[in-house]
Amino acid sequence: MPTFKLDGKEIPFETGDTIIAAAARVGIEIPHYCWHPGLSIAANCRMCLIEVMPSATQRSPLLDILEWDATLQDYRTVRKPKLQPACQMAATEGAEIQSNASENVAVARKAVQEFLLLNHPVDCPICDQSGECKLQDYWLEYGRFKKRMGDEPVHKPKAVVFGPTIVYDAERCVMCTRCIRFMDEVAHDPVLEMRERGNHNEICVADGHALTGHYTFMTEHVCPVGALTTKDFRFKARVWFLRTAKSICQGCATGCNSYLDYDPRYNRAYRHRPRDNEQVNKYWMCDEGMLSYRRIHEDRVSEPRLQGKTVSASAALQAIKQAFAGVSPNSVAVVFSAQHSLEDNWALRELAKTLLGTTSFYVSGLPDGYEDKILIHRDKNPNREGVAALARDAKSFADLVTDIRAGRATHVIALGGEAPLDHHDGEPAFEKLQAMVTIAAHDGPLTRAATVVLPATTWAEASGTYVNAKGIRQVADKALEPIGGAAPAWTQIAHVARSLGLNPQWGELKQIRTRLSSEVPAQTATSSTQTES
Amino acid sequence: MTQAAAFPKKRATPFTPVVVKHAERSLSNQSYIPEIIRGVGESMRHFFRNTKEMWKNDRPDPVTQRLDKGITTISYPEQKRPYPERFRGLHRLMARDDGSPRCVACLCCSTACPAQCIFIEAGEYPEGDKRRGYERFPVRFVIDELRCIFCGFCVEACPCDAIRMDTGVHATPYDSRDQFIYDKGLLMSFAGRDGSHKTENPRHEPGEKTHPGIDRERSH
Amino acid sequence: MMSLSETIWAVVKILIMVGFLFNVGGLLTWLDRRQSAMIQDRIGPNRAVIKVFGIEFRLGGLLHPLADGVKFFFKEDFIPPRGDKLLFAVAPILVMAPVLALIAVIPFGDKLCVDDLWRTTDTGSLLFPAVPRYGSCLIPVARGGIAAIDLQVASLNVGILYVFALAGQGIVGAALAGWSSDNKFSLLGALRAASQMVSYEVTIGMSLVGALMIYGSVRMGDMVRWQGDHAWGIFIQPLAFFMFFMAAVAESKRIPFDLPEAESELVSGYFTEYSGMKFGMFYFAEYMEVVTSSMLLVTIFLGGWQLPFLHRDGLTIDIGTWRALQLPMNHLTVTAIQVCTFFGKVLFLCWIQCFVRWSLPRFRYDQLMKLCWRILLPLSLANILVTGVVYLLLDHAGPVLGNTLQMIGDLTQAVVAIAITYFVLSIVIGLIRPTRRTSWVVGSTAKLAQRFGGTPRSPRMQA
Repeated sequence: MPTFKLDGKEIPFETGDTIIAAAARVGIEIPHYCWHPGLSIAANCRMCLIEVMPSATQRSPLLDILEWDATLQDYRTVRKPKLQPACQMAATEGAEIQSNASENVAVARKAVQEFLLLNHPVDCPICDQSGECKLQDYWLEYGRFKKRMGDEPVHKPKAVVFGPTIVYDAERCVMCTRCIRFMDEVAHDPVLEMRERGNHNEICVADGHALTGHYTFMTEHVCPVGALTTKDFRFKARVWFLRTAKSICQGCATGCNSYLDYDPRYNRAYRHRPRDNEQVNKYWMCDEGMLSYRRIHEDRVSEPRLQGKTVSASAALQAIKQAFAGVSPNSVAVVFSAQHSLEDNWALRELAKTLLGTTSFYVSGLPDGYEDKILIHRDKNPNREGVAALARDAKSFADLVTDIRAGRATHVIALGGEAPLDHHDGEPAFEKLQAMVTIAAHDGPLTRAATVVLPATTWAEASGTYVNAKGIRQVADKALEPIGGAAPAWTQIAHVARSLGLNPQWGELKQIRTRLSSEVPAQTATSSTQTES
Repeated sequence: MTQAAAFPKKRATPFTPVVVKHAERSLSNQSYIPEIIRGVGESMRHFFRNTKEMWKNDRPDPVTQRLDKGITTISYPEQKRPYPERFRGLHRLMARDDGSPRCVACLCCSTACPAQCIFIEAGEYPEGDKRRGYERFPVRFVIDELRCIFCGFCVEACPCDAIRMDTGVHATPYDSRDQFIYDKGLLMSFAGRDGSHKTENPRHEPGEKTHPGIDRERSH
Repeated sequence: MMSLSETIWAVVKILIMVGFLFNVGGLLTWLDRRQSAMIQDRIGPNRAVIKVFGIEFRLGGLLHPLADGVKFFFKEDFIPPRGDKLLFAVAPILVMAPVLALIAVIPFGDKLCVDDLWRTTDTGSLLFPAVPRYGSCLIPVARGGIAAIDLQVASLNVGILYVFALAGQGIVGAALAGWSSDNKFSLLGALRAASQMVSYEVTIGMSLVGALMIYGSVRMGDMVRWQGDHAWGIFIQPLAFFMFFMAAVAESKRIPFDLPEAESELVSGYFTEYSGMKFGMFYFAEYMEVVTSSMLLVTIFLGGWQLPFLHRDGLTIDIGTWRALQLPMNHLTVTAIQVCTFFGKVLFLCWIQCFVRWSLPRFRYDQLMKLCWRILLPLSLANILVTGVVYLLLDHAGPVLGNTLQMIGDLTQAVVAIAITYFVLSIVIGLIRPTRRTSWVVGSTAKLAQRFGGTPRSPRMQA
């Protein structure tokens, strides 16, 4: 692999790589605003300027540059090497590049930083980007100057509503055009554009359009400063109060890798944002996925229920014991959930197959929905592939309704409250059941039909493994603490097994994971390092 | 009244070790009797002086003559010492001219707060408000005065002089815990020590002449 | 068989003594707090308040003993569930009763002749005094007069021995209280109390033997009269006075000998578990013990009801054989002054005992025992020996020495008289003398206070 030298360090690159991309791949950051690994190159922010050292036979291209002379009390002309933008400069074999090592680069960075901040309102205290803003970070790292301009800064529109989700503040904008490029290149919906020139430059929505669609949140995410804010997160929290967990989006079968930002003080999730993974979602997520964190706190089952009334856990387990006493295994139907993790479904299968001895398996989950060619999958369940791997012969949910109607299933143990079921069609069928146990995190048709409901954790409250539509197995970490009496579904299933007089062989997540890896071999996504976006 | 140096300067001798003298083993020391008499005598001196001053109601002023001999304690709830000028009392929220809080809900105070006793819910001004886009405002501003340790960091952190601790009121006892939860309205109702809500630190509202510009037409 | 008038007089005397004891006991609880505040530069208790028609009466904290009493009665009367309930209830009574009984033999005045109350000696005529200096009344009972009344509840011939006998009973109460409480701290306190009181009981007895030898009587009245004629016991037996004083403080278990109830070690010692009025009785008994020990000290060493140069016939200053002044008074006046004198001396000693309490640190237990057995007891034995030898020698000396001794005795009376006058005068002068004040106006607080003319007038810093 060819290499070049950056500050004396050998950096390998592939043909066609830019210097900034090659450096980013090995974890070296060259400061930048407009460059994004998933977008085309604009090279308009000039923050990534680097010095390309001339080879022995070459002369460095020099420019006349005005420099302040303190003794003269005036500017004087000096000749300095011409710097190159690292985001546009293709890497060449053996090139010698200086970034942090070069004094000229340091001066240039400081100057660019000062230029970008000339008309900035510096309203960090009320800016949502504050704490994760590149202007702040780079000022601290490369700037550290005091404002020299005494004139009134240029004023531009503030709090401009771009669409139902995005609000724009032109004064904070550094005109990197990342948002414009994203809408053009990734979302294929070129509604954003730039108008005016120089100081009066601003981003705007094309006349007669609004920033709508399924990828509006990403414009905010790619914005390196606080110019674009989402109405969802705007003014809700300060980012330094938030903690972050690596998660997997639950919106559809694509299984986008994500970060879940939550506030441990209030045990509340505030934000979902993409985690880079070349194999799955690259750098992007859809609006539905980024808003899916809301579901953690909506329609929750927090306490055990018996006939719709909140009861203690022991009373609920006692009711299960009574309901299942002397029931033939053949009449027990077990419903897996494509919404729940591999571990939860594995525990349910273990209970059914090994302990109860039933093999009538069904799969539930949310019905199909919108799909597109970018990220959004038709299947709205994150783990259908995983359930399929666990129980190949599992029948569809419609078969369950048929079997109940036919009286082949009198008792049901179900995972997850969600089901493709409506009031006219399926629900009356469940009234024929003698008993139904549902272990669910959210309310749904199956919890409404259930005799006993045990509260489970959501994906954010327990670590879990999910298999996406491509068959890639991915792990979501625990972020929040479980609410109320909720516990991971596999724990609740173990409780159910014990109440039925059985002896479950799993007590810890680690044991389940060990068994899973031997029983269900699956392709695991290579965990990618988070490249700076 | 004579003016004397409050704290007579004593030259510090940090490197001279203090030699603790052993008590002499003499008859008067060991018999303990002269010491008892001296001790009781000292008690009597205090007793007679203080009794006389109490009786004649001529006690030294507990603040201006606090280093004098005599009783300088006070009957607390009836009598109070004046608090020093920079005393950090209960918080108050400053108001603008139109009566709304100066606070822009930036959460700097709650970030600085080591006791995590400040809760703020930020809100956006409605469409058409001249402050929209420039500022936000606290929908809720709650201080748990039970948790507060009165360090004053919130006042230091505030970028717009919205929170102060100059009420001159010390932490007040209540019957129940929820009474210690001060909300925005209560915090704004407190006046400063001089009894006024005024501040010498003016606030420039968007749209005013003193405010740096507001729209493209009026910008430079 | 007592006659009606004797019975009435007995009741009156009991009322006087017990009334004094209870009232002064209560006052002492106030005095202890107030005086300690004065010693420690504090304001002291003043929160108890009575409101009459909107006017607040605080009386310098005098209402606190009252409030305490009310509180004692309304507090829960807790009895440890595994303690001995009977003994637990009896113990405070056993502590309180001996103290009350003890004052029966203490005289608070000379013999009172009811018939001669208004009679005054003619000036210059000592030959026919209205009331004889010594002995019975002018009109004997046989001629229809009323018998002289001893101002003493019971003129026991065993006198001081009765005092010793009763003083020893306090141990029983303390020991029982500690044992019946089912509490280790209580038991430790009781152990300490028992051993401490038994030890100091010995010193109390021994220290007085010398004095008794000189007085030649164990009747309290006789002792006081001897002191009036010769010299106060404190001049004759100074060592015994100090030893008795120390032992008496130890007997009443007060600082510096409060090991049985040392708060820093034993919570409250033997009455840790007591609450309500039972605790109140222990608490009160302690203060009454202070009063009774002061009474004993006054009677035995400080001349009882005697004032220098005041005799039954009036004020007569005799130095040796030279008469400096004679001022006859009637019998009622003299008796009233003498009774007041006795109680005044008792109050003075209580006051002194409070100073001791607030000035001295507590002893260690081994020091306490060492002090008793290795110092006080040998000293008191030596005191007996020396007293005996000197007394024997003086007894065989001639009349010249006797007159000289009488002269010295009169001089001590003069010394006492001068000391009292000096004490009173210096208090008056001290009260008149103005106080000098220095101001330190440093810091914003002081400046603020000065601007408003003093802290009490500076504005309340309340919103």
